[in-house]
Amino acid sequence: MIALPAFRLMHPTTLAEAARLAAEPDARLIAGGTGLLPNLRLGLGKPRTLVSLDRLEELRGISHSNSHLRIGAGVTLEQLSRSEDIPDALREAAKLVAAPGHRTAATLGGNLCLDTRCVYYNQSEHWRRSNNYCLKYGGDTCHVAPQGKKCRAAFSGDLAPALLALEAQVETTARVIPLEELYRDDGAAHLALAAGEIVVAVRIPAPKGRSGYAKARGRGAIDYPLAGVAMALALRDGCVEHLCVALTGTNSRPFVLNGTEAFIGGKPDQAALGKLVQKQAGPVRTTVIAADYRRQAAAILARRLLGRLSQGDESWT
Amino acid sequence: MSIAGRATPLVDGIEKVTGRARYTADIQCSSLVGDILRSPHAHAEIVKIDTSQARALPGVRAVLTGADCAIPYGILPIAHNEYPLARSRVRYWGEPVAAVAAEDEATARAALELIEVEYRPLPAYFEPKDALEGETLVHADKARNIEREVETSFGELEAGFAAADLVREARFHYAEVTHAQMEPDAALAEYDAERGTLTLQSVTQVPYYVHLTLAQCLQMSPSAIRVIKPFVGGGFGHRTECLNFEIIAALLARAARGAVRIELSREQTFVMHHGRPQTDIRLKLGLKKTGEITAVDADCVQRGGAYAGYGIVTILYAGALLHALYRVPAAKYHGVRVYTNTPPCGPMRGHGSVDMRHAFESMLDSMAGELGLDPFQVRRANLITPPHRTLNGLQVNSCGLAECLDCVEKASQWQKRKGKLGPGRGLGMACSHYVSGAAKPVHWTGEPHATVNLRLDFDGSITLLTGAADIGQGSSTLLAMVAAETLGVGLERIRVIAADSALTPKDNGSYSSRVSYMGGNAALAAAQELKKVLDSAGGETFEDKVRNALKETGPVTVKGTYTVPPELQGGKFRGAGVGPSPAFSYAAQVVEVAVDEDTGEIHVEKIWVAQDCGFAINPLAVEGQIQGAVWMGMGQALGEATRYDPPHGLPMRANFLDYRFPTIADSPPIETFIVEARDPNGPFGAKEASEGALAGFLPALTNAVADAIGIRARELPLTPDAIFEALRKRRRAEKLKAA
Repeated sequence: MIALPAFRLMHPTTLAEAARLAAEPDARLIAGGTGLLPNLRLGLGKPRTLVSLDRLEELRGISHSNSHLRIGAGVTLEQLSRSEDIPDALREAAKLVAAPGHRTAATLGGNLCLDTRCVYYNQSEHWRRSNNYCLKYGGDTCHVAPQGKKCRAAFSGDLAPALLALEAQVETTARVIPLEELYRDDGAAHLALAAGEIVVAVRIPAPKGRSGYAKARGRGAIDYPLAGVAMALALRDGCVEHLCVALTGTNSRPFVLNGTEAFIGGKPDQAALGKLVQKQAGPVRTTVIAADYRRQAAAILARRLLGRLSQGDESWT
Repeated sequence: MSIAGRATPLVDGIEKVTGRARYTADIQCSSLVGDILRSPHAHAEIVKIDTSQARALPGVRAVLTGADCAIPYGILPIAHNEYPLARSRVRYWGEPVAAVAAEDEATARAALELIEVEYRPLPAYFEPKDALEGETLVHADKARNIEREVETSFGELEAGFAAADLVREARFHYAEVTHAQMEPDAALAEYDAERGTLTLQSVTQVPYYVHLTLAQCLQMSPSAIRVIKPFVGGGFGHRTECLNFEIIAALLARAARGAVRIELSREQTFVMHHGRPQTDIRLKLGLKKTGEITAVDADCVQRGGAYAGYGIVTILYAGALLHALYRVPAAKYHGVRVYTNTPPCGPMRGHGSVDMRHAFESMLDSMAGELGLDPFQVRRANLITPPHRTLNGLQVNSCGLAECLDCVEKASQWQKRKGKLGPGRGLGMACSHYVSGAAKPVHWTGEPHATVNLRLDFDGSITLLTGAADIGQGSSTLLAMVAAETLGVGLERIRVIAADSALTPKDNGSYSSRVSYMGGNAALAAAQELKKVLDSAGGETFEDKVRNALKETGPVTVKGTYTVPPELQGGKFRGAGVGPSPAFSYAAQVVEVAVDEDTGEIHVEKIWVAQDCGFAINPLAVEGQIQGAVWMGMGQALGEATRYDPPHGLPMRANFLDYRFPTIADSPPIETFIVEARDPNGPFGAKEASEGALAGFLPALTNAVADAIGIRARELPLTPDAIFEALRKRRRAEKLKAA
């Protein structure tokens, strides 16, 4: 095993202190560490300070108010996967992350702020050096799209699409913004957070119908999504009243599918939704699995999810 | 029998489940940290290495390059072409070039950064086709980059095909797979500078070969070296050869005059490789209407990687076991092992036999369909009746394949359910077999194949001393059970000390499933010897017997050995040494799948597997080994593949996320059946139980997929995207036809 680089580990007990420490140069936040630590071992970043969020009461707990459900960023995926009173999409997404061991440590905030992934990036120092590094870290060429000047690494968190489909807002130490605004379409800088800005909680408005999450991956556990699709759907008399679809694993940011308003008032049209997903999902060669398969898989997942939520068959997974 | 044949938890299980077991990396010892500078190129000449700055760095205690060891090594005496640290040329990405020992990890890493290496890149080959046609030679003495070309022919091939009612020929391609054992590679070397002695603790399956190689590369007397195998977290063939990091750790320890620890990362362990080569096969079979095989003709090209390793054995094994599972009247085999600029391959579980078995059993399945025969019927038409000598001189004295077939046919309700499972679901079956140890060991010394000592002292405890490496497969438990059964004492009276060259007799190691049979027979012989001593001493109780036995002689140590009789050692033709074994295991299995025709995902719903292991000395361990074998086959069939991308030969899947072996969530119920066709020469009739069932899984799976969706896989792994593409292609073809 490769040892971690030397760092100073801080355990602030207030959010203000955490924000101050996080704003220092070369500081990184650490929650469950399931995403960060493997990357640090690979030499992806050499933070001087790790600011642990584990002692911050402000990040804990799930609470309900009249207008929304509030979930602290420090809530673990294990807690989410057992919570009966959160929307299905979020619970299903949490259940499908990695493996049980990871989920006991990994947190909501950590999953939302997960680094983007690429087969040319998540490699050892020696590996990346042999390849002259890459646009995302230490180099000036993108090995996925050598002509391009933008990093194409894929966002691979499972929770973000669920929360996007649920039209959640994110509360940071500085502001409250729609979750969509947390992300930028740039694999090398996909988080729109200022230095020292910490994700504190998400706020989920009252659900407008059913919701669900489906994930394509190579195996029945462990893997990041090759594609992930979340959906919120409300039907009235068999016709679509509300439809919101969000994707992960295919682009540098999780995103809400455009054009779903065209489905309003019609029967849930699975084929049409599949086509829409195929058009907007933009996987490139960031994984060892062919990009085209990820695009097709996203479309299939969306079609099936629409079918499942339309029929309300809870047993489908 | 009261002990042999009873399901028994492993004698070292408590240490493992409580965390007390110490693996190599856990060993507490004040040691220096060894680290290795590796090649950034797939193929390059080393023009210059400057280590002066690294040597000058405070805290650095030794810096070594290829100049410090001029003695090549390799597992086969005829193919020593690897150096622990590359000399003048690197032949794969990640090959060790220089090494340092320093006071801590950060210093070691800093020292590596200070070593300047000038390379002149050479053309690199990643595919056998390119290597065969390329102008650059990976090894100067190997024209066309062929490590070994083998050809064998038995019986009347043309007459065989002429007598067939159906002749078919097909091509197959198999991705390279690797062991992915849980424990990454590690070694701890301690050099006693005052005495000039060396102790190495390592993750090895074969301490004896490590011992020999260290003596040779370090030019030390073997008597000055001690090799200890601590707990080992899996081998599967990865650790059957002495590996470069073991020699490097020893060289560093000697240079630094102290102890040096080397721990490889997961990526480095992947690049250490020694797994199953990428393989291309052309296979031609002739069958009669009854299903009887009339002739077999096969070509096999293996991408061997950069160094010889076991390569010659692997390419011979593919031919030796090709036609030995059934009664075959004529067989021709042509194999080519090619050098490429990829990590060297080796003897992975099912060594040499797995890919060829898939091709063979796939063709039997499809040809049975053409002849209107049931797949079981085709196998039954070709069964061996022991005693039987195969075309290539393998002596079969026991074979329970018929019973294996009956077991899984009945348990899976094959006759009732086959073809009636509905769309997207299917059943497939296949057979396989394996050796119980090689009749001719790699290092031929004329000594017995296995030796076990039993030591009896005043306290009445019996210590079993064996060089056999328990790597998780349960060999220590098995040997203790054999001894206890024979002596008529409780298992708790036997203490096993294994794999420490200072204490235990030499053993040829844990590979090719040899320990149960050979070590088992040696333990049996030793226990019989000790029983004689105790019986002739006489006495009412066991304690009396011990007291009497020790009178005059003092503590007693007896020895038992096993030697493979000459008639089981095979034929006389070139290459005849690979394949012969004192006994062969047999297995049959049925696999049920459900294929998602939208996503291409294959769900293995259930496996029924029966293995003839002669006699299950420890049925609990046998069951675990059978499950592990089919599970490993499942990995190769469904997801596992390495990949090295040009131009640098970077490993694209050298981690447990991208190298997709199945997780427990993907594991289907596995129903195992133990069949016991006792071998006349095995300990209590036992044969091997750890490898035989592996190869059958792959064809049973793809035969099931063919049954489910009509697509016959001739390339593995059969990943969802591959199935998706095949289905898409078929839909397009159907559309074109309809238009």
